[in-house]
Amino acid sequence: MIRDAWLILKHELLVTAREPFWIFFGLFQPVVYLLLFAPFLSGIADAPGFPSENSIQFFAPGLLMMNALFQAGFAGFGLIEKLETGFLERLRVTPIDRLALVLGFVLVSTITVLVQSVLLVLAALPFGLHISLVGALLLLVLLVLVAITMGSISYALALIVKDPGILAGVTNFFILPVLLLSGIMLPIAFGPPLLQWVAAVNPLYYASDAARALLEGRLGDGSIPIAFASFVVLAALTLLWFIRTTREAVA
Amino acid sequence: MAEPILLAEQLRKTFIAKKGMGPKAVVEAVRGVDLRVGAGEVFGLLGPNGAGKTTTMRMLCTLLPPSGGSGRIAGFDLIRDQAEVRKRIGYVSQKGGMERVATGRENLLLQAQLYGMSRRQAVERVNVILARLKIGEFADRKTNTYSGGQRRIFDLASGIIHSPPLLFLDEPTTGLDPQSRSRVWEEVGRLHGEGATIFLTTHYLEEADALCDRVAIVDRGQVVAHGTPAELKRLVGGDTIALGFASADHAARARNVLLHSVKELVIDERALRLTVEQGDERLPIILAALNAAQLPVLTVALSRPTLDQVFLKLTGRSLTAAEPAEDAA
Ligand SMILES: Nc1ncnc2c1ncn2[C@@H]1O[C@H](COP(=O)(O)OP(=O)(O)OP(=O)(O)O)[C@@H](O)[C@H]1O
Ligand SMILES: [Mg+2]
Repeated sequence: MIRDAWLILKHELLVTAREPFWIFFGLFQPVVYLLLFAPFLSGIADAPGFPSENSIQFFAPGLLMMNALFQAGFAGFGLIEKLETGFLERLRVTPIDRLALVLGFVLVSTITVLVQSVLLVLAALPFGLHISLVGALLLLVLLVLVAITMGSISYALALIVKDPGILAGVTNFFILPVLLLSGIMLPIAFGPPLLQWVAAVNPLYYASDAARALLEGRLGDGSIPIAFASFVVLAALTLLWFIRTTREAVA
Repeated sequence: MAEPILLAEQLRKTFIAKKGMGPKAVVEAVRGVDLRVGAGEVFGLLGPNGAGKTTTMRMLCTLLPPSGGSGRIAGFDLIRDQAEVRKRIGYVSQKGGMERVATGRENLLLQAQLYGMSRRQAVERVNVILARLKIGEFADRKTNTYSGGQRRIFDLASGIIHSPPLLFLDEPTTGLDPQSRSRVWEEVGRLHGEGATIFLTTHYLEEADALCDRVAIVDRGQVVAHGTPAELKRLVGGDTIALGFASADHAARARNVLLHSVKELVIDERALRLTVEQGDERLPIILAALNAAQLPVLTVALSRPTLDQVFLKLTGRSLTAAEPAEDAA
């Protein structure tokens, strides 16, 4: 089973590496944010209630979360293509365990996110980002959990809707509110109380807070255990869901 | 008959296709199909578009759970023993299923390793298959650069890489030029010779005739006839010979000469249409007889029975005009 997952992972990585264009294309959005959006934040970094000392320190961790969210959140499109070309069917008729298929695909999107995250952190350093090494490593673990969660959801949805148009609609429907209510773009403390309440049940809110705390090396921050706990549970649940759809729904 | 390698009993598949928010469309794609294929046979499933060939095959390959009925591959149940079934089959789908950005060789290596070969064994095996199918030349190009026919041969390669005892081929020759087609035929013949069982679908009776020991014709999800290709052809009465003469008088006299030696004979002004068995052997004899009677033949055409003719005979509908089964429902 492990061997089969590894074979699929290797093959998929090879395919991804063959079109490295996509890795960079995926990075394009966060880099644009870094270059064109972060400077605007510097104006409000002095505003009362702004949580970080400078805007890049606030915004870069959020970008990492956002990248994981979008990158893995759109992973399902690749799977729909494999569904359409018959590639997935070719794998499914081999005697490999369905779990190997699931793990192979989830790992591919997770590794992509990892590579991108490291590149993004490196890109943000010249902008004055300070990082704690231990914190940054822990953050990568958190990003992996987020990527597993989003990837599993996207893959499972892909297998259910089987249509790129519908998948795009569904994904955008969920991903935007989740993003806006996570405090990734702007501090939630700036919002009205109602939205603050809603944000309080958004695990990504804690994850983006935790991301900031981790990068700054505030390892005792209360958001960190909440973020890890919720994403361990979410990753496990969504992975199980993806496994179940793979076993049942793939036609 | 011993336990057949492939057994389907009253296999059914009903799709519930939702059309947006609108009403559900119920498609009865396969409606009670019985099949028995003995080990070592080449078996063909013939039928028009939408007849349910692919759906039947996908159920037999464990890719699609049947809505009803049951099936066994080498004694293993399609639903309960999926893993055992999968170990024993190879499947080349209508779509193929090569990863486009990977090369043909990489695709085949993955396939071979997923069937349990070590890297080294896989490399060796892939080389053997590439040489055998004469496709080594473009094995190291990405498959999205292949022509349709080149890709199809690679699809075939991926199905036989692990030498499965039972091979499913869904329209293996559609879109191939005569040379590639004969390469596929050759390979099917070789696998047959090695004792493999092959279950294929096709639109061409001529192909079924060349390859298959037995065929079943499906229409609208049901088997409407099965037997050897010769038996099916006998249903339409054999080959057709069309002869053209200089005058209606010649045609009428030719008719009298041939009347007793053919099964069926139709005269249409200056033309004669004869139905005979073994048309290729009979034609020279007929021409010699007419020559002896001093009746010059101006044109000759020999045609073998087509699937269309068999189908017309069986269903009263022409294949070319057959509408997709139940699609409008
Ligand atoms: N996933 C699906 N959902 C709904 N209907 C389907 C699905 N798959 C197949 N069908 C329908 O089932 C019927 C049989 O399709 P199938 O693909 O088995 O035909 P086929 O004999 O292989 O045809 P062809 O010669 O065109 O390949 C068709 O009417 C088709 O539209
Ligand atoms: Mg088909």
